[in-house]
Amino acid sequence: MDAIDVETFFVCASEEEGRELALGLLEKFGLKDTDIVFIEHSGAGARVRARGYLYRAGDQYAWLAGEGEK
Amino acid sequence: MNKAKKILLAPLDPVHDIGLKIMNRALKEQGYETILLPPDYQPEEILKAALENDVGAILISRTLGYGVAELLSRFIDQAEAAGLRERVKIAIGGMGIRVELAQELGYDAGFGTGTVPEQVIAFIEEREPQLDHSGAVKIKKDLTQGYDYTYKHKHIESLLDQIADKTLAWAADKTSDAITRAALRRQMMEAAPGERQKAKERYIELSDERIRDFYLDGVMPPHTRLLSDQEMADMEKYVTSTKSRMRMKKLQKTEKNPTVFIQYGTGCPFMDVAHIKVGESWGADGVVHFDPSWGARTEGFLEGYLTHGQDGTIISPENLLAIKRSLEPSTIWQVRAHRGLNTPETVLLAGKVGADMTKINVAYGSLGGGTDPARLMVDAIQCMRYAKEFNLPFDVVTNEELCGVPAAKAFAGMLTTAHIGIRLGCRPVLQPLFVYSPEVMITGEMEDNYVDFNAAKIEALRSIIQAPIWPGAPIGFLTQTEDRVQSSLSTALHGALASSLGVEAISIASSDEAYSGGPIAGPSRIDTLTALKEAFRFFGAGAIRPTERAAVMAEKIMAGIIEALEQAAALESFPAALYAGVYGSTAEGAYPGRGGKDTVRLR
Repeated sequence: MDAIDVETFFVCASEEEGRELALGLLEKFGLKDTDIVFIEHSGAGARVRARGYLYRAGDQYAWLAGEGEK
Repeated sequence: MNKAKKILLAPLDPVHDIGLKIMNRALKEQGYETILLPPDYQPEEILKAALENDVGAILISRTLGYGVAELLSRFIDQAEAAGLRERVKIAIGGMGIRVELAQELGYDAGFGTGTVPEQVIAFIEEREPQLDHSGAVKIKKDLTQGYDYTYKHKHIESLLDQIADKTLAWAADKTSDAITRAALRRQMMEAAPGERQKAKERYIELSDERIRDFYLDGVMPPHTRLLSDQEMADMEKYVTSTKSRMRMKKLQKTEKNPTVFIQYGTGCPFMDVAHIKVGESWGADGVVHFDPSWGARTEGFLEGYLTHGQDGTIISPENLLAIKRSLEPSTIWQVRAHRGLNTPETVLLAGKVGADMTKINVAYGSLGGGTDPARLMVDAIQCMRYAKEFNLPFDVVTNEELCGVPAAKAFAGMLTTAHIGIRLGCRPVLQPLFVYSPEVMITGEMEDNYVDFNAAKIEALRSIIQAPIWPGAPIGFLTQTEDRVQSSLSTALHGALASSLGVEAISIASSDEAYSGGPIAGPSRIDTLTALKEAFRFFGAGAIRPTERAAVMAEKIMAGIIEALEQAAALESFPAALYAGVYGSTAEGAYPGRGGKDTVRLR
């Protein structure tokens, strides 16, 4: 509807590394408007919730335009 | 920065200023003179106060939201126009604020959720913050410490004594191949090299065909393979690197919060170790090894570093050693020996490799775990002897409730196994099922809530014996769905209830507990650990209070326990009572296991 969240865990040495890995993953998915909603590094790696927005407020929503254009 | 200069703290926010108040106190404690403005000041008013007081730093707080970035950026422009920007440090803090965003907006620093005052003070003083990166200091706990196993209920004690006397006498002249194999394994580990080979040859003779094929012809069981030297070297590297940066959270908010165990058994020791390190990082105090179910139906163990593509991680001396090497010093490690045809060897290996606990059972292992009652009983006595020798407390579960056995009968079985252990000098831990039991699904006793029946179980046990209680396994089982929020919340609430009841420990699920399409994923472990930590924080020294129905339910459970034990005491032995359905009948869903049937032999 509006965004794709990717929740995962990265084996990495720091929060910064985890952030880069998460954003890199979203980029590989072809998502452009990305952000890190949540990240926490502790010992073994980073728990992360990365988000790629498909639509922001005011965009033209394909799901609103009709079944064939979803 | 010179402490002669004042610090201005200003919420550029209509309401929120808690963070600034905390900072205000911390700065004052460090000897700074501060000015804390109330909420809802306009930027011009804040800058006017800064100019009038010739401050050295301005700390702005603002929760990030729509249009806030523009507001914050404009504040910096206004500070520049007022001639303050060059000579005054300006920082922004609040929920959603990140360092990169703060820099982008022109601030000298940004502080988000989780900031500690030292970070802000270090910014003001232009130095690196002195933070404790070591994580929580955790000490390995002995769950049995402080328990003396005295019985409050003397009639039950007397019944258990009668059953234990008869059972120990019945088992005195009996043994099994598993007991012999355990002794041979010991020789393979301790004897001179020549003797080791002889012991191994005899061990292979006493094993099933699948195991013999492995040793004699190198044939692997299905879905199983040996890990390569390179893989083992990579694992060592992973463990070393992870341990070097290890930080561990502490879940418990108060002393009364229980010790928290997670269970692992992905099939692969590598993935197990990775899951263990995640669990340790997010606060798990203990880990429980799950072995494959086929291993329980096979006479004899494999050797080597082994992985396989199904549930449960193969028990071999090497696999256990690899897992042991990965553990943090404070982590309690339990290796289960509660069912199957290799229980004595499992406890021996657990002791030799350095586990902290084991799991020994007879009622569940035979009625719900598929092992013949007589065989499991004879083996269990040897397990208990090893447990005593290696100083391994063991828990006794009541998971036969999941088959439909009423809690009272399952508790009678748990108490019987535990009592035989006590008689042999062991330190058992009672592990009542703390879930939505099939029994009460049928009777409807948990229709209103999940609290009363679980509370009744703990109350009943407390009125019988002074022993450690470790609800499991896992708590909240059959209440969790595949939805991770629901699952984590349910686990957390059951954890809070267990804590309210003052138990020693709990075993928790991951938020993947109800998912059966594949292995548990690492993040799902973090979900429930985080939820549980929040529940402990939420209740603190407070508690969940059961309704009056709990006491009525506890009385009913007590009556059922006594009835079952009276029937068992009249029979030849504990296994005889298991075959007879005293501890759970076939009508209730308990089926005496056939694994190892007719394999008990005279010494």
